[in-house]
Amino acid sequence: MKVKVYAPAFCSFDHLDDDNVMELPEGATLNDVFQRLKIPLPLRLFPIYTVNYEKAYLGTRLKDGDVVSFLTPLAGG
Amino acid sequence: MKGYTGKILFVDLSTGRITDESIPDEVYENFLSGVGLGCYVLHKRIPEGANPLGPDNVLGFVSGLLTGTGSVMTGRWMAVAKSPLTGGWGDANCGGTFSPAIKRCGYDGIFFQGISNKPVYLYVDSHKAELRDATHVWGQDAVEAENTLEEECASAGKRPKIAVIGTSGEKQSLISGICNDRGRIAARSGLGAVMGSKRLKAVVLAGNHRTKCENPELMKAISKEFTSKVKKMNIPRFLSGRLLEPAGKLLSKMKSVAVPDGIMAAGILKKWGTGFNNVMGIVNGDTPIRNWNGSVLNFTKSRYRNLGPDLLEKREVKKYSCYSCVVGCGSVCRIDDITDGNFRETHRPEYETVSAFGSLLLNGDLDSILYINELLNRAGMDSISAGHAVAFAIECFENGILTNNDTDGLELAWGDAEAIIKLVKQMINREGIGNLLADGVRVASRKIGKGSEKYALHVGGQEPGLHDSRFDPMMGVHYCADPTPGKHTIGCFQYYNYVQLWNEVSWAPKVSMYPKDKEYLASRENATKSVAISCYKQVIDGVGGCLFAMTMGVHNWNPFRMLNAATNWNKTADEYLEIGMRIQTLRQLFNVREGIDPKGNKAHPRMSGNPPLSDGPLKGKTVPIRDMVAMYWEHMGWDSETGIPTEETVAKLGLADFS
Repeated sequence: MKVKVYAPAFCSFDHLDDDNVMELPEGATLNDVFQRLKIPLPLRLFPIYTVNYEKAYLGTRLKDGDVVSFLTPLAGG
Repeated sequence: MKGYTGKILFVDLSTGRITDESIPDEVYENFLSGVGLGCYVLHKRIPEGANPLGPDNVLGFVSGLLTGTGSVMTGRWMAVAKSPLTGGWGDANCGGTFSPAIKRCGYDGIFFQGISNKPVYLYVDSHKAELRDATHVWGQDAVEAENTLEEECASAGKRPKIAVIGTSGEKQSLISGICNDRGRIAARSGLGAVMGSKRLKAVVLAGNHRTKCENPELMKAISKEFTSKVKKMNIPRFLSGRLLEPAGKLLSKMKSVAVPDGIMAAGILKKWGTGFNNVMGIVNGDTPIRNWNGSVLNFTKSRYRNLGPDLLEKREVKKYSCYSCVVGCGSVCRIDDITDGNFRETHRPEYETVSAFGSLLLNGDLDSILYINELLNRAGMDSISAGHAVAFAIECFENGILTNNDTDGLELAWGDAEAIIKLVKQMINREGIGNLLADGVRVASRKIGKGSEKYALHVGGQEPGLHDSRFDPMMGVHYCADPTPGKHTIGCFQYYNYVQLWNEVSWAPKVSMYPKDKEYLASRENATKSVAISCYKQVIDGVGGCLFAMTMGVHNWNPFRMLNAATNWNKTADEYLEIGMRIQTLRQLFNVREGIDPKGNKAHPRMSGNPPLSDGPLKGKTVPIRDMVAMYWEHMGWDSETGIPTEETVAKLGLADFS
């Protein structure tokens, strides 16, 4: 299945294509996304991410077409 | 067609004549409303070479095309006129509740020409428009005058909406703006001085017309979808603003840039407003320090931590939103304990104000900034320009160009909050050295001479926003290339990446992760991005859209869909961007007609890293702004050498009548 991921720049982008889409096996969880992005474990504990703009957890199961977003402050204002 | 009223109100202050004028549908289809309509009208009505403070200048108050249509995040209005600060196209943008009030009176814009022989205000409701004597409020600050006129004009319990100048506008300070909602301000371009020159104290609006929407069901669905997303965006209570400091440090170390999902920032705006960047910007290099000649090493954590958003949050007494906003980044702060009881409350100072009177001046005293914020809001003075004027004065004093004799004994020094407050008061009252500074740094440096221009940070006469072009080079492009120079709200790489225009606009370059260094190149790709974002911003300013809604991305907040729902035009995003290009080109043609040489709108050397900073996150950074601007011009269809729109571009955009 394919999941759109808006990943922060400090992540590994090896598993994302030019459209920020990640291929995952059926039944994959958010933690699988984080592993592929190489997000350090302590950071995964901060609730600064959503799936389809809903609160999500490391164990949240993903489905095809889901959107994973991270809190990214705009440097401006 | 729906979405707009098809009418403007035109007021000749010299004769007292007030007329309704119809605007043909094709004007809206070609220029939208807001800044586009304003530019269309002013181009036709202001004679070439008009004195910005004379009777021939036209001052307009324009609403957005989407304002009042059931759309969300579309409650911004704009003031437009020939700018006395730059001598060219002037505009300024503000939120609050004034934009829908214009349309409720049955107009898309209200325009003034001439000069009244006594102070007046315009009163408009659904049945009449009349000029009334304003002698009793002339001399009052913007908040006092708004209170007085609101009381005076309230009818059947309904309070009117008011745009008003403070004393700075009356005194024709070239860095004065126009206020509404008790001290919010359309600050840029010196348009308060234009209003003051016309002896127009206020515009009071009390209409009750409704704006029609062609497809209200679709509009409702679009708005609902966006609103439901925003409602879910909240920062957990335990996440402190102190975390923004390490986040900023992390950002400053990034060697690459990724595409974010902008709506995720909604929670940040809800919690801290633009103040989220007060500290983050200092540590990552976004915020200019010591008149653009310092770094975080000059303004260390013992001082910058005093400006943190949590400290402002502690003073909050209520939060508020602009009309049709579902985020609510505004709040009111209590200040009765720090202003000797002079003022009870102030709007939470925006990031721009905190930075202009904080890091730019090495001032870590937040209380002084809150106080200055209220002084400036009431006087109606632009905090961006005022902060730069104070920085200029301090640096002149430091280098012996200004002395105690010039300042009547006031010792000016970086970070001296007491002296800064005194100087601000002098600027507001146009006393002593403050009288010079109240017209901005270009005018002041020309009058002072003695090499003081070295310390005058401006582009084309206007002081730049508080976002460092060495941090985001495209910001520097638009500081110079926009027909209203110095504005930070036109375009930068961050805006471009957040908006994700490539999802809608066929020619907008797609972005995936890229090295940050690419942003420092005068490349064709970067020029195309600059063109796309600046044209898009003209669409946003034509519909009354909010900059922060814009940065939430077109996949979340889509003005093209909303425009089609409001008007049934069924235009494509490419067609709307062409309208944006038409507006941008018309603004540039206005400048060319008024004798502004686009080449003359140069960034101060510090803004392009010349010489580069020797420490801090921007150490060694230089930006080829001149080359980037030339490429922007070329990609806009303007001459790459002169910045003048080419005949082909003028013809293609249907602007031959304006050139």
